[in-house]
Amino acid sequence: MIRTRGLIKRYGTHAALDGVDLEVPVGSVYGLAGPNGAGKTTLLGILAGLRKATEGEVAVKAETGEVAVLSDTPRFDPWLTGREVVALALTLSSGTGTPTARDSADRVDEVLAQSGLTDAASRRCGGYSRGMLQRLGIASTLVARPSLILLDEPASALDPQGRREVLDLITTLRGQATVLFSSHILGDVQEVCDTVGILHHGKLLFQGPLSDLLVGRAVPRYELRVREGADAVAGALAREAWVNSATAAEGGIVHVEVETLAAAERHLMGALAATGASVMSVRPEEVSLERAFLELTS
Amino acid sequence: MSPWRLEYLRLTRTKKWLALVVVYVGFGLVGPLTARYIKEILSSAGTSDGMVITVPDPTPADGIVQFASNAAQIGTLVVVIVAAGALAFDAIPEMGVFLRTRVSPAWRILVPRVVVSFLAAAGAFLLGTGVAWYETWALIGAPKPAPALAGAALGVVFLAFVVALTAAVAQRMRSVLSTVMTSLVALIAMPLLGLSPAIARWLPTSLANALADLPSGGTMHDYWPALGVSVVATALLVWAAFAWAGRREA
Repeated sequence: MIRTRGLIKRYGTHAALDGVDLEVPVGSVYGLAGPNGAGKTTLLGILAGLRKATEGEVAVKAETGEVAVLSDTPRFDPWLTGREVVALALTLSSGTGTPTARDSADRVDEVLAQSGLTDAASRRCGGYSRGMLQRLGIASTLVARPSLILLDEPASALDPQGRREVLDLITTLRGQATVLFSSHILGDVQEVCDTVGILHHGKLLFQGPLSDLLVGRAVPRYELRVREGADAVAGALAREAWVNSATAAEGGIVHVEVETLAAAERHLMGALAATGASVMSVRPEEVSLERAFLELTS
Repeated sequence: MSPWRLEYLRLTRTKKWLALVVVYVGFGLVGPLTARYIKEILSSAGTSDGMVITVPDPTPADGIVQFASNAAQIGTLVVVIVAAGALAFDAIPEMGVFLRTRVSPAWRILVPRVVVSFLAAAGAFLLGTGVAWYETWALIGAPKPAPALAGAALGVVFLAFVVALTAAVAQRMRSVLSTVMTSLVALIAMPLLGLSPAIARWLPTSLANALADLPSGGTMHDYWPALGVSVVATALLVWAAFAWAGRREA
């Protein structure tokens, strides 16, 4: 759906994007993860046609009317009602193929309901909360049934409830369109995306299925919590032949990296019992996108 | 919801139409009234040190002159402010993104904004002119219709130039305020250049005085150069606005 080759964007001498080769498969929910200033907004701006690349190739297999973009803090003329904003988005996106008034009204009501804004649809959006504006932005994005949706940090500025609502909305888009979703909140990307790109200082450090990123970095590891004596427990476990390393952290936590999960399952409980420590919890550590990201960028 | 209705709602819901009507109709009401009663006003104010102020009896042209001279300045200021609010659509970047990612090429965003801003300004100006003409007729006597109509037509051309100038400036500025200030500086600079009579007759700003001048005995001959320059400049400014709208990065 989207392919870039050697994409470079310079602002003066600063390279906001430095040779990005992006590949977004058709129908995927692609998460573009990276810290603030990584170049995510610049990349989305170029893909949306809002900015020009300094060098490189961009190929987007969608017409202007089939691409919808949502900025991180959408704003609309405050004297328009929510319904009018969505209706305007539909008219503008439809171009010459303007749908009939009846079809338009039905479609507008449908996406307003999908976005949870039916009750507020007749109110002027100048009185909307930030979360409502974000949902109105998503409704405006979806109304023309775009084949490609570019979402720039759609949930980053919201409170937990608003974030949950927006993430749920994005999840419903799977199968309806190709979605490119940027965020610096890695948990959000991990939750809703099937394909991931890690952007850091303008360079794409990784891209591919989320499972490849996590499995490739999966190390059998356990996290223990003991009431006291974490250092002594870590020291005792580190001497075991099936343990690669054991380190104590704050709060009585001990991180244990083992050779295999099978070896740990056989020996870990016995080794802990031998230390005489009061064990509060034992659990295998899952590899998170955050850890993978930190490993990639460190 | 079409872009044309959006502009209609911008005028009505933000009450910008009211600002235009209040200024032009207000001066249309006050101008002839002032012309008719200036003698009485000055008499009631009294004289001092034996000074005597002699005011000639008002003529029908005076009513239109009073309206036109007031409306030319304050009216133009309000037109620039109203137009800039619609034309500087990138002033709030998120709104610019909303429009630019849905409308291509970008100049199509500007068309309804330029047209509706101009029609609102011209409508309010013509309404004010009509009110001034009617009140002058009622209080002083009927002004000659042909010079008043010609002056109003030239005033409308000037407003088209003002809206086109604001549209072009808006595509180079990043805020409504900077658009208003830059446009006003350009409009103020023209009368300064016009201090030289050889240049004045070529400047679009001279058209703003036509409604005051023609009913008072001025001739259309004096305005042909400014009319020609205004029409060409308006076309060039609209073209520049459309071109710049497309090149800009959001």
